[in-house]
Amino acid sequence: MNIETFKYDNRVVRAFAIATSIWAVVGMLAGLLAAVELFLPGANLNLQYITFGRLRPLHTNAVIFAFVGNGMFMGIYYSLQRLCKARMFNDTLSWINFWGWNAIIVAAAISLPLGLTTSKEYAELEWPIDIAIALVWVVFCINLFGTIWKRREKHLYVAIWFYIATAITVAILHIVNSLEVPAGAFKSYSIYAGVQDALVQWWYGHNAVAFFLTTPYLGLMYYFLPKASGRPVFSYRLSIIHFWALIFIYIWAGPHHLLYTALPDWAQSLGMAFSIMLVAPSWGGMLNGLLTLRGAWDKVRQEPMLKFMVVAVTAYGMATLEGPMLSIKSVNSLSHYTDWTIAHVHTGALGWNGFLTFSMLYWLFPRLYRTDLYSVKLANWHFWLGLLGMMFYVVPMYWSGITQGLMWKQFTPDGFLQYPNFLETVLQLIPMYRLRAVGGSLYILGVLIGCYNLYKTARQGRFEPDTEAQAPALERSGHGAESGHRWLESKAGLLSVLATVAVLIGGAVEIIPMFVIQGNVPTISSVKPYSPLEVLGRDLYIREGCVGCHSQMIRPFRSETERYGEYSKAGEFVYDHPFLWGSKRTGPDLHRIGGKYPDAWHYNHMDDPRLTSPGSIMPRYPWLLTQKLETNSLPARIAALRKVGVPYPAGYEARAQKDLEKQAATIVQNLKAGMVKAESNREIIALIAYLQRLGTDIKAGQAPKTADLAPLPQTTVSLNP
Amino acid sequence: MIQNVLKETGGIGLFGIISICLFFTVFTGALIWTFLQKKSFLTTMESLPLSDGEITSELKGEAHHE
Repeated sequence: MNIETFKYDNRVVRAFAIATSIWAVVGMLAGLLAAVELFLPGANLNLQYITFGRLRPLHTNAVIFAFVGNGMFMGIYYSLQRLCKARMFNDTLSWINFWGWNAIIVAAAISLPLGLTTSKEYAELEWPIDIAIALVWVVFCINLFGTIWKRREKHLYVAIWFYIATAITVAILHIVNSLEVPAGAFKSYSIYAGVQDALVQWWYGHNAVAFFLTTPYLGLMYYFLPKASGRPVFSYRLSIIHFWALIFIYIWAGPHHLLYTALPDWAQSLGMAFSIMLVAPSWGGMLNGLLTLRGAWDKVRQEPMLKFMVVAVTAYGMATLEGPMLSIKSVNSLSHYTDWTIAHVHTGALGWNGFLTFSMLYWLFPRLYRTDLYSVKLANWHFWLGLLGMMFYVVPMYWSGITQGLMWKQFTPDGFLQYPNFLETVLQLIPMYRLRAVGGSLYILGVLIGCYNLYKTARQGRFEPDTEAQAPALERSGHGAESGHRWLESKAGLLSVLATVAVLIGGAVEIIPMFVIQGNVPTISSVKPYSPLEVLGRDLYIREGCVGCHSQMIRPFRSETERYGEYSKAGEFVYDHPFLWGSKRTGPDLHRIGGKYPDAWHYNHMDDPRLTSPGSIMPRYPWLLTQKLETNSLPARIAALRKVGVPYPAGYEARAQKDLEKQAATIVQNLKAGMVKAESNREIIALIAYLQRLGTDIKAGQAPKTADLAPLPQTTVSLNP
Repeated sequence: MIQNVLKETGGIGLFGIISICLFFTVFTGALIWTFLQKKSFLTTMESLPLSDGEITSELKGEAHHE
């Protein structure tokens, strides 16, 4: 037997480990500030760069792609080498992966506060960064498959399958969801509109959770749990079923984010059915993890790393039971748009991803630095603070979500809404929002202690850049008598192809009919494209992240049509590139806001929401009143929108500016009538134009409304059926 | 009112049938596959993470467990 000696690369693992620790602190602090802003609206100090709308995507991107992303690469780069008994395919590629990924994160940290966003959740980054993500991901894939190719271990352990599924699926999701037409260096429009955009986005969004936050971490669980407990996996058979069932079912479940929306019912039902099925593989995986510890529970008592791991796996179990429950339409009708969803995702993020990452860090640092952990006591402090922090975060959010959901739906015995003023339901939640911030702070305190502990561990040890290892060379003989899965799993290429097919089926079955069958989006003839001023106003709405707190999707419940007006129809969104349905109502739905209040109300409200709505937790937007509306890019925007399918007549770019000025002048007049003196070239004018247009097109048949630029009604219009 | 939204099934008939067939096939296939595996192979795979070929770690063993 030809024994080969080689070295595992620890340098890049350490780099990812340091990055994940730093980004954990940054991402969570951004989250804490966002949480504080929800009960202290002035906490942004009236700075536009850190208003809630811009901070929220920064927080989610930092936690998902920076903290978990680097944590994932850290774990994969460490375990893949050891499972393949080979150094990473190419050191340069490893470093391109590291620096490229972190440069993207820095770009996100700069561009999101500047308001450069596509507004699509977890895919907010603009097109140049999207391209960079695709390139870096390809580098990661080459390195992954290259390492698998030059491995010395014949069989691919199940963790590697999870890595392969991650690599392939994230690439597909990212590319399909990011198809957009640029309108300048930092602005683009999704090629999909309305319902179709919503479906593609949530096919992406849900599977980003599945294939970025879950599958790679399951792979890591299957590696680090046996490693740390010194015991083999409870059942390898179960892990195989876990893998195939999970990747195959997960991809279908996206539409559960769109229950009771204008998405066709068949797609909603499909999403719900597959979501419920997901309980089985998820719990199979969780039990496989926990049972691996059978007979090793004494170690859990002594080893902080295992404590984190056990809570992580348990949190995974809880989140993956709750997810399917939330996907049941009747439950979702209460939970959707409330803080319940926030509680759910934080069980996953803080518990599953957070604790698993810390678990790996506590395991890796002593090994990378050839020493003992600096302080087991501090690690235990981190553990208990983290756990307590999680409780203080999640429980108030459940309370808040259910309270608000019920209040929205409450009718008086006479059949009127019990809480017709949305704000009333928000004010009930303020104590919960305060508690949530306490929970978040405890969790972050734990993280800081953890970072200190890891730093001291590194200081007391000596870093080992390369670990020497030995293994017999792999003889690449024919597959001969091998059969079934054994043959398959030793063929990484075939495994990848099958995994891709499994993943593509679900997506294709949902997405293709939505595009090829016209009947899925019934057209409404009175729905017209936005006017130039409204286009710019909509882009401001996107820039400010209004979609983070305001939905534009009235569900067909009496409690919603009473409160907001006629329920939203698929045909109303055919020119919405991207869709702005939103997924959370920290403020009321805005789909029928058009014409509900006078222009002057909006002006004053944006200046200071508490002028018009005492007690409101919405931030002030004074800069909209003073900043000049940027119109130079208008022709490029119109052209890009035409490219994605909005029927602006040829050459409209030349006339757009004129139309814009005309409409702006009308709004200035309206403002004057409302005792507000405003200049016509300010951003607020465009935003008012857009808000006043929202949801009004379907009324065109009832109330005469000539061109798109006609003055808008100034009185409250009842849209109730 | 809800009926208005829900009655459209979108005419996806064939897609529905294809997908249920695919789903059933893949699922049963994966299950059968899994149960065809030999015990000896499964045992090897279960403990694969435990041997990483590290020279140093094998010398030092698990002594570094806290």
